[in-house]
Amino acid sequence: MEKEFMLLIHNQMDSKSQLSAEESQRFLKDCMVYINDLMKQGKLKGAQPLVREGKIISGSKGSWKDGPFNETKEVIVGYYHIVAKDLDEAIAIAKGNPEFVYTSTARIEVRPIKMVEQETGFVYPKEG
Amino acid sequence: MDQPTIHQLVDHLFRHESGKLVAVLTRIFGVDNIDLAEDVVQDSLAEALGQWQYRGIPANPSGWLFRVARNKALNILQRQKYQRKYVSGARHDLSSDSSSESLLESFFSEQEILDDQLRMIFTCCHPALSKDSQVALALKTLCGFSVPEIARSFLTTEENIKKRLTRAKQHIREACIAFDVPAGLELDRRTGTVLETIYLLFNEGYSASEGDDIIRCDLCVEAIRLAGMMEQHPAIRDKSDVCALLALMYCNASRFKARQDAEGRLLTMAEQNRSLWDNSFIAKGIEYLHRSTRDGHLSVYQLLAAISAQHNVAPDYASTDWKSILMLYDNLITIEHSPVVLLNRAIALSKVDGPEMALQALEPLKEDPTLSSYHLFYSTRADLYMQLNRFSAAADCLEKAISFSTLEKETDLLRRKLLSCTEKIS
Repeated sequence: MEKEFMLLIHNQMDSKSQLSAEESQRFLKDCMVYINDLMKQGKLKGAQPLVREGKIISGSKGSWKDGPFNETKEVIVGYYHIVAKDLDEAIAIAKGNPEFVYTSTARIEVRPIKMVEQETGFVYPKEG
Repeated sequence: MDQPTIHQLVDHLFRHESGKLVAVLTRIFGVDNIDLAEDVVQDSLAEALGQWQYRGIPANPSGWLFRVARNKALNILQRQKYQRKYVSGARHDLSSDSSSESLLESFFSEQEILDDQLRMIFTCCHPALSKDSQVALALKTLCGFSVPEIARSFLTTEENIKKRLTRAKQHIREACIAFDVPAGLELDRRTGTVLETIYLLFNEGYSASEGDDIIRCDLCVEAIRLAGMMEQHPAIRDKSDVCALLALMYCNASRFKARQDAEGRLLTMAEQNRSLWDNSFIAKGIEYLHRSTRDGHLSVYQLLAAISAQHNVAPDYASTDWKSILMLYDNLITIEHSPVVLLNRAIALSKVDGPEMALQALEPLKEDPTLSSYHLFYSTRADLYMQLNRFSAAADCLEKAISFSTLEKETDLLRRKLLSCTEKIS
């Protein structure tokens, strides 16, 4: 049975600022090919970038703290929501991400999405 | 999810959009702040990348990039309005006026972008800058090349290129070089300097090398693109030189794929595979050649282009019209009496009047300081001697040629010729 996975892309905030115009263009082309391939195989449910601006909330009711990200730190720059038959296939898909070819600081977190609570049979609501 | 598209992504879109943006932002921030303009563009490209890599390229990528860059520029102007000293009135308005946003908008109109690129061409190719700096700066700002790419095209280190660019920008600041297209007589003079730089850029790409051929082809294409911008702009009224240079570059570039062998050795016209010549380039070259001749004045570029075109239209080497080529060289030496032109003329002369006459014509050039250390001077004479079966004279020349040759493969070829000569002597 096909399972769903989240590929969370971690990278330095400015990981692509050193790419030349031509490299940027090649990277983009490779990404389009990557995404098109996944879509043709019916393995892609969604992919989105996360914009740089945002806040991190911490604390609790009564003493909230929110701060901006530290710019030099690694952040989640985007995600792919994919379908794969098992963790191994999801990992293989993640390894094909052009992010690894054009930057040296990328890390991809591969996480299965829990669809059905085994014990109670509770089905989690789905997006879209 | 929609299928992301790549069809909007034309070749070198990012490079060329960044060239446009750097020009526009340099006008906004002032020519002292080319670095700032480049940073903003780099930042905008990175932002585009972060979005487009997941969602695909928007319908109007260029408009998207311009919007992002404009917003970034606006932020900088507002943030730094009290810190930065803006020289021109236009810039002052931008930083203080609440209507700066709409004013800024006008800087990004189609015509303004063209104008700013032309201003950038004249600024980069200012005669106060060294030729090396001019070429490097034009590649960086107008053509969107990165420092490593420029270093690769010139077979030098990134450190060197960085130094060259820093010096050039410093010079622009210190010499108060204006970000403008000159007018009147000054325009003609400065246009000449710009064309020289463009031709230099072209030859940098066209010359034989063992380096990266893709980037060298890009240099030729960029040189043609810059000249094309000059040709299209109404500010340049006398286009004959621009058209002549375009003709020359198109005619030569048509042979780009055929010009050297796998080892990077330049091939002669006789050796080139003519089926590799690009016919669409030849057609463009000839069209520009016609346009350059309209007002009847002769230029070096035009005569070189006409010679190049003569080779292009010959179906094979044997049917080359050497008489016309010799006539063109005879015209050329009346306006450019350079040793290299005389050497090339001698080759045409040998085809028309025989090798003996050519050798005689080259005789007085033996003492010339440029030619006496130029390997082609000796290898050309060696070829002529061989045609006359004077093998020991040919061998002498080949030995000299070998001592001045710098490309290893070229030297190998000369050695093989030398060997065949010495065999015939004994």
